[in-house]
Amino acid sequence: MTKIGLEIHCQLTKLESKLFCPCKANYREFEPNHNICPVCMGLPGSLPRLNQKAVESATSIALALNCQTPEKIAFFRKNYFYPDLPKNFQITQLNVYGDMSVGGEGYVDVEGKKIKIRRIQLEEDPGRLIYEGASDRTKITLVDYNRAGTPLVEIVTDPDFENPRQVRIFLNILSDLLENLGVAEPGLEGAMRADGNVSIEGGNKVEIKNIGSFHDLEKALHFELTRQQSLSERDIDIVMETRHWDDRRKITVSSRSKEEDQDYRYFLENDIPWVKIEQTTRDVLKENMPESISSKKERYVEKFDIAPQVAEIIASDRYYSQLFENAYSEQNAKDIANLITTDVIGFIDTKEKQQKSKITSKHLSDLIDAINAKTITRNSAKVALQEIVNSGKDTELILQEMDLGQVSDSSEIDAIISQIFEDEKQAVIDAKERPETVNFLVGKVMQKTKGKADPVKTLELIKSKLNQ
Amino acid sequence: MNLNTSILKYIEDVKSGKFTVEEFTAATLQRIKDVDEDVHAYLSLNDSAINDAKKIDQKMSSGEKIGQCYGFPISIKDNICITGTKTTCASKMLENFIAPYTSTVVNHLQNEDAVITGKTNLDEFAMGLTTEFSAYGPTKNPWNLDYVPGGSSGGSAASVAANECLASLGSDTGGSVRNPASFCSVVGVNRTYGLISRYGLISYANSIEQIGPMTKTVKDSAFLLNIIAGQDDNDDTTIDNSNVNYLDGIENGIEGKKIGIIKEMTTSDGLSSEVSAATKDAINDFESLGASCEEVTLPTIPYTVAAYYTITSTEAGSNLARYDNIRYGYEMDSEGYEYNSYISKSRTKFGPEVTRRIILGGFVPSAGHAGKYFLKALKVKSKLISEINSAFEKFDYLIAPTAPVQPFRFGEKIDDPVTLMLLDYNTVTANLTGKPAISVPYRISNGLPIGMQIMANSLQEKALFQAAYALETKTKLPEVPL
Amino acid sequence: MVDEEEIIRVAKLMKIDLEDHGEHVSRVKKMLEYFDILDQIDLSSEEITSQQKSLNELRKDEFIPYDKKLIESLKNFREHYVRAPKMN
Repeated sequence: MTKIGLEIHCQLTKLESKLFCPCKANYREFEPNHNICPVCMGLPGSLPRLNQKAVESATSIALALNCQTPEKIAFFRKNYFYPDLPKNFQITQLNVYGDMSVGGEGYVDVEGKKIKIRRIQLEEDPGRLIYEGASDRTKITLVDYNRAGTPLVEIVTDPDFENPRQVRIFLNILSDLLENLGVAEPGLEGAMRADGNVSIEGGNKVEIKNIGSFHDLEKALHFELTRQQSLSERDIDIVMETRHWDDRRKITVSSRSKEEDQDYRYFLENDIPWVKIEQTTRDVLKENMPESISSKKERYVEKFDIAPQVAEIIASDRYYSQLFENAYSEQNAKDIANLITTDVIGFIDTKEKQQKSKITSKHLSDLIDAINAKTITRNSAKVALQEIVNSGKDTELILQEMDLGQVSDSSEIDAIISQIFEDEKQAVIDAKERPETVNFLVGKVMQKTKGKADPVKTLELIKSKLNQ
Repeated sequence: MNLNTSILKYIEDVKSGKFTVEEFTAATLQRIKDVDEDVHAYLSLNDSAINDAKKIDQKMSSGEKIGQCYGFPISIKDNICITGTKTTCASKMLENFIAPYTSTVVNHLQNEDAVITGKTNLDEFAMGLTTEFSAYGPTKNPWNLDYVPGGSSGGSAASVAANECLASLGSDTGGSVRNPASFCSVVGVNRTYGLISRYGLISYANSIEQIGPMTKTVKDSAFLLNIIAGQDDNDDTTIDNSNVNYLDGIENGIEGKKIGIIKEMTTSDGLSSEVSAATKDAINDFESLGASCEEVTLPTIPYTVAAYYTITSTEAGSNLARYDNIRYGYEMDSEGYEYNSYISKSRTKFGPEVTRRIILGGFVPSAGHAGKYFLKALKVKSKLISEINSAFEKFDYLIAPTAPVQPFRFGEKIDDPVTLMLLDYNTVTANLTGKPAISVPYRISNGLPIGMQIMANSLQEKALFQAAYALETKTKLPEVPL
Repeated sequence: MVDEEEIIRVAKLMKIDLEDHGEHVSRVKKMLEYFDILDQIDLSSEEITSQQKSLNELRKDEFIPYDKKLIESLKNFREHYVRAPKMN
């Protein structure tokens, strides 16, 4: 049976500061090596200072993943030499003297299957390496320490996945969950990375590291499964080893020589005292956690009679659920939800667009009110939405400026209908003979009014005119 | 000008106008010029010392508020950072390292208007007991220049003993403040772990080391502790000392107190006869001061040196890993090297003792050996803590001589690693348990100093100073012959 | 008895070049042999503990920028990056 396990690293970019110093947690806006201080640079004599909110965020993640959380947590040193490590050790967590990392023994439900979460721990991200040029001849590694010390949560699963598809679903669920909790922004580049381990029936476990994105993870898993299966078919042993993902050649390559001689000499990080996390603290964290995605979905379906697929879309995305939550009333909830999933999503379909968009919940409720009051048509609303997303101007202002008001004045429509009847004499004859073709004439009126005519009224007036 | 004075007397004299800060500082600097070529206590001097002194005089004459220190001269061990100064840890690895920030303790001193005279010599990276392992040459004992001053804070102790300053800040990991204090006949204090911020102290063994004052008198140490102790936001391991005034009640004496004589430290074969005799006399002195003395046994003590070196070398191996000469260090072209060979080559600048400790520190916590060495050492630490806590339920103080021997000649002990390690026999207990301990200069015998060590329970520094002060009143020591 | 080969292997891991420091091996060996004394003490009932703090004593999550010029005071810094020798 195929067994796949994951080791996911997620940056807590919603924090203000790094794990052990007050430099900025989200380093992306800085020039290289301009988001550093003596602590994250590991300068002689500097000492780490643990970020309280990081511990709270990590504990919340553990609780959201149904983990056990210990009464005391501790930090450890993982000692090895690498240019991206300012201290040549990484401060991380281990469960050596009992359970000392922020959480463990949890699970996530993936299509009815419980994927076990073995362990969740806090640790610091190393810096970033850039190799000057891409050739082997260059003798320099460039290092940017802006990222060194950024808070990471490492989530390790049991090898419970049976295929890459389950992995993909799990990662989507996890990303949504982390974003919903308000602790991370999985959409940011490099904010969430995953390594994996793979074994097939009768074979040893192979670890795959150096995977840059979830996209690459799926590729790597597929490649590795194929590689192992082909070895097995030829009766060749699958060796237990660590391989790394070669992104250029899209294959996994053995890293045996690198990992072999490592001895991390793990021991307690004595510059950081053990932190007591009282039960009351954990209770408060649990209470203050944002509502879970599944709970939201249930609520939308049950309370507002929103279609399950629509509810799913809105509940799973923090941006949309916030738009929805602040816009709905008892009467218009269903309408708002539909507006979001049919039209808004079309304009704001990426995280970047979500960041840039200027739409607010008030816009949505104003639009729905206008549609229900027949001030504008559904079509016009769509046009207005585009402008709202781009400019954020008041809904009423936009309706005026773009002249999107619904034409519902009978005499106005009548005048246009008369015009159409003049222009489309043949269609009029057709409509009189076969009433079902009347929509052609309705369409013409809509065209002429740029979609602003009240369709119901238009149809009424055309029909009565036809009968004259 | 009499440089052989105490901080408290100095402050009185400055206040009463007997001399100005500038005058005393100038005299101190002259003294350094006169003797430091022989003593070699200092690695670098503070060029702006005189200017700092002048500023303080100006403040005084203009009626501005003056810090508690009134400009007394103090030296700082060269493993403590001061902005803009070379901080070498007496190593070639940090030959050109200029600290970009100031340690909390020096901040306190500067805020209270102390005058920093310069940085003092030490065993490289604070690993050693004689200051012979400094990469810049050893410091000599001012009582006899052919003898070691102790270590690792040898430069600090010597600078105070030789009247090249009135006090110094050293660091104590296994006795590195008390041992040279005893060897140079000055007061050296190691306090409860966490009482003084380590921010800016270049780490050797962070779970154990502490910065410690070294002064001529017990009251001076209490005064200095008032200035530098307390919780610090920059150091998560510091504890709140509720702004205790350590000078308060220091003369109360020890009438009725119970003193435990640590059997393992006072009858061990390693004690020289002079030290043994001095210890007996010290016990008599304590009794004449009204305390009752009784022998106490701490059976874990014979294992403490092994545990101490196992733990500290593990931490040193990790704390010194950052010295790969890539971000700071000394000039070395990377042409022709790849990463691993560059680091190995650059680290050949470590001295012999540091090199050995790093190797040890890679060995004892490694996957195959941690169970036999490192984990056992941690458990020895736990066991010792329980033992000493029990002892403190019965006793107010625990005493022993600070060092089992008097200072010895250069080169005498340096070749046998085990003999060298055992010099720490009486001092590591305080470090492993985090308890405060003080070395009080007790006697000069055959021209060489002997110090007595007093230990108290955690956060009992006030009581500790009382006992130390009481013992000090019983001593009459000659002036340093330099 | 401590294996000298093992000491040399460890030195390499710790990035200590033993070419010129052969005498260190025998001295380290002596120290390790002294540590054998740890085998003689009964530690079965001992647990490892540490200093403890509560969650609200920790540093508050605030961004405080440090001196932009810090990187310029460190060596091997040129045009934005720290330059390290190439990895093999």
